[in-house]
Amino acid sequence: MSFTHWHGDMEAQYIYTAGIAGERFFRELKDNGKLVGTRCPKCDITYVPPRMYCEKCFAELDEWKDVPLEGEVVAHTEVHVDIEDNKLAEPFVIGFVRIDGTQGGLVHYIKAPEVRNGMKVKAVLKDDRVGSILDIEHFAP
Amino acid sequence: MEEKIAVVGAGSTKFRPDTSEQNWKELMFEGASKAYTDAGLNPRKDIDSFVTCAEDYWEGFSIYDEFVPDQLGAAMRPTCTVCGDGLHGLAIACMQIMSGMVDVVAVEAHSKISDLNTYNDVVLFAFDPIYNRPLAGHPYYVAGMEMNAFLNGSGNTEEQCAGVVSKNMTNALKNPLAAYGKRVGVGDVMGSEPMFSPAKKLDIAELVDGSVVLVLARAEKAKDIADNPIWITGFGWNSGTPWLEGRTWGRASYAEEAAKMAYKMAGIAEPRSEIGFAEVDDKFSYKELMHLEAVGLAGRGQAGNDLENGRFHADGDLPINASGGSLGCGNLIEASGLHRALEVVLQLRGQAEGRQLNDVERGLAQSWRGVPTASGAAAIFER
Repeated sequence: MSFTHWHGDMEAQYIYTAGIAGERFFRELKDNGKLVGTRCPKCDITYVPPRMYCEKCFAELDEWKDVPLEGEVVAHTEVHVDIEDNKLAEPFVIGFVRIDGTQGGLVHYIKAPEVRNGMKVKAVLKDDRVGSILDIEHFAP
Repeated sequence: MEEKIAVVGAGSTKFRPDTSEQNWKELMFEGASKAYTDAGLNPRKDIDSFVTCAEDYWEGFSIYDEFVPDQLGAAMRPTCTVCGDGLHGLAIACMQIMSGMVDVVAVEAHSKISDLNTYNDVVLFAFDPIYNRPLAGHPYYVAGMEMNAFLNGSGNTEEQCAGVVSKNMTNALKNPLAAYGKRVGVGDVMGSEPMFSPAKKLDIAELVDGSVVLVLARAEKAKDIADNPIWITGFGWNSGTPWLEGRTWGRASYAEEAAKMAYKMAGIAEPRSEIGFAEVDDKFSYKELMHLEAVGLAGRGQAGNDLENGRFHADGDLPINASGGSLGCGNLIEASGLHRALEVVLQLRGQAEGRQLNDVERGLAQSWRGVPTASGAAAIFER
């Protein structure tokens, strides 16, 4: 026996604002191929992605810092299924890379023959950049 | 806690992966009716206030809280919806009583997740839209990353996580509410499909529908209403950073802080010797071990060994998820925490049927809101 259902979907589109801190992050990435963060001098925390306020002391932050493209793998996973739960032909690795000299980092794809936590990796940038997290192709040793 | 508050009514539907014959309001009506019958109360006159826990995207409604009153007996009555887990709702209900405004409050949480065809997409929609969402993919990768960092950092093992699955699914065989009770061995889990390595298919709780309702009352009322009031002696809640980039990977800070808050209220200094049993979040197998360490029921890096030594089994020193947990009963989304609370209440009342634990006096319920959150709550119940 099948029961009566009504199919519904939701029309919802958004334009998410990068904001004061995000604007600068994505412009630097796009125009200069650089990563930047903000620093809280009081807490000695460098935020990547940058934030215009400190999570710890709630101060407004205006100290900008160039940070390297290099970092260390802190957590990673090998993904075997797509968003519809179908098995992927090629599993891929995604992880969190702590950017050197900062308390932050980026979640991104990691490409290496064998990925280990603690491994040193570097952001590989695309040549044609548009101001998106996908301007970084992946991290690699 | 100065104001004494008791659970005077408890009810729930069975937890089922498919509830096609019943709509979400009827599911809530069933859970509520059972709890009100249990309490011997008429919601139209005996219950002063109603709290539900829900989130628009799970439900498929904008302004979901508008759709709550009728099926709970709450029309034309004070009603509010908490966008949080059932234990967050329990905390709000307690505070309403503590404020002196009301005497008796119903708190409801449910999952009608089978109505949602695009669950994974809605979970992904909870990710930061600019820094994380463009990477796309199945959103549970965040749990895979966390499991990897937790196991690496703590020394617990994949096999021990598989032991959690085996324990909880086996426990669920004795729970008539549970959907996924099964005799599963460590080898079965280890051999199950790789998903978000190290997380495998059986490490991940399957989704389920259900509704859970508790009725709370202040002490002087509670003694009139119930023969077996179960006292809520502490509760707490906490949110870590929502930024995946700002987390201490491998640590459940939200659970540490929520438990600390609850322990302080309950006057618990040594949780390991003062808590007899617990129901903790296990939406992923590693989460049970991680949460046990976070709430101080196991030493750092020791939860897996304790599990292997039988400490957390139903006949061990500190039974954990005797209900079967989310792995055995199903992932009830926002109702998961309230199900934890329900099980603690049933155990303390001596109504846990075939899975009844011996001589339990005080238990902990702990919740986590699921991927990608770093939010959760905790509550202490006593006989």
